[in-house]
Amino acid sequence: MTKPDRIPARFQIGDRVQVLDLKLDGHIRTPSYIRGKTGTVIQFCGFFLNPEDLSVGKTAGPVYPLYRVSFAMNDLWSGYERPEDDELCIEVYDHWLDAPEA
Amino acid sequence: MRGYHDIGGEDAGPVPKEELPWLYWEKKVEAIRNLLGDATRRLVSLDELRHGFESFGIEKYQRYSFYRRRLEALIDTLEIKGVLTREELEAELAQVKHDWTPDTAGASNSDKA
Repeated sequence: MTKPDRIPARFQIGDRVQVLDLKLDGHIRTPSYIRGKTGTVIQFCGFFLNPEDLSVGKTAGPVYPLYRVSFAMNDLWSGYERPEDDELCIEVYDHWLDAPEA
Repeated sequence: MRGYHDIGGEDAGPVPKEELPWLYWEKKVEAIRNLLGDATRRLVSLDELRHGFESFGIEKYQRYSFYRRRLEALIDTLEIKGVLTREELEAELAQVKHDWTPDTAGASNSDKA
């Protein structure tokens, strides 16, 4: 089996990133409640086959960078009445992220 | 798109904090799924199953339990790939049920011996 192509990682730990809304049909692993939200990359998880490809039986690659991204709970939920520093950490694939809008 | 399974943030009331039993058949579904998806077979991926039950339609999705969804999507996927048919599966289930029903088990087992 040949090694799958690798999509280059565009982000580093500490980068601010905004989650895109790619309007894709089918199986996606980016929940709606983080789309459009801005968070911080806190960990690089490695390169993985894209679940959107795997969900339709495509196993040849490429592999995509996956990051753990932290969001302030107050940014995700309106009326969140808990400590200011509560955060939600979730894994997001590279192609769902971009630099935040200025 | 936001699927019917993508419910994070929806109002759902309090979370019931009860430990649910992990039933034997549920463990078997996971074991079979693992074997079918391992690196030597790659017949079914977990994401294919997710795609399957996320395409059930909301009524069927909500009616089935977590493991029933996985099981039904597993069967659907194997059928799509030509590994088995629902008819073959039903026939096999009927045979096993017949063999393990006390009244008929003796006769059936001796038939096989």
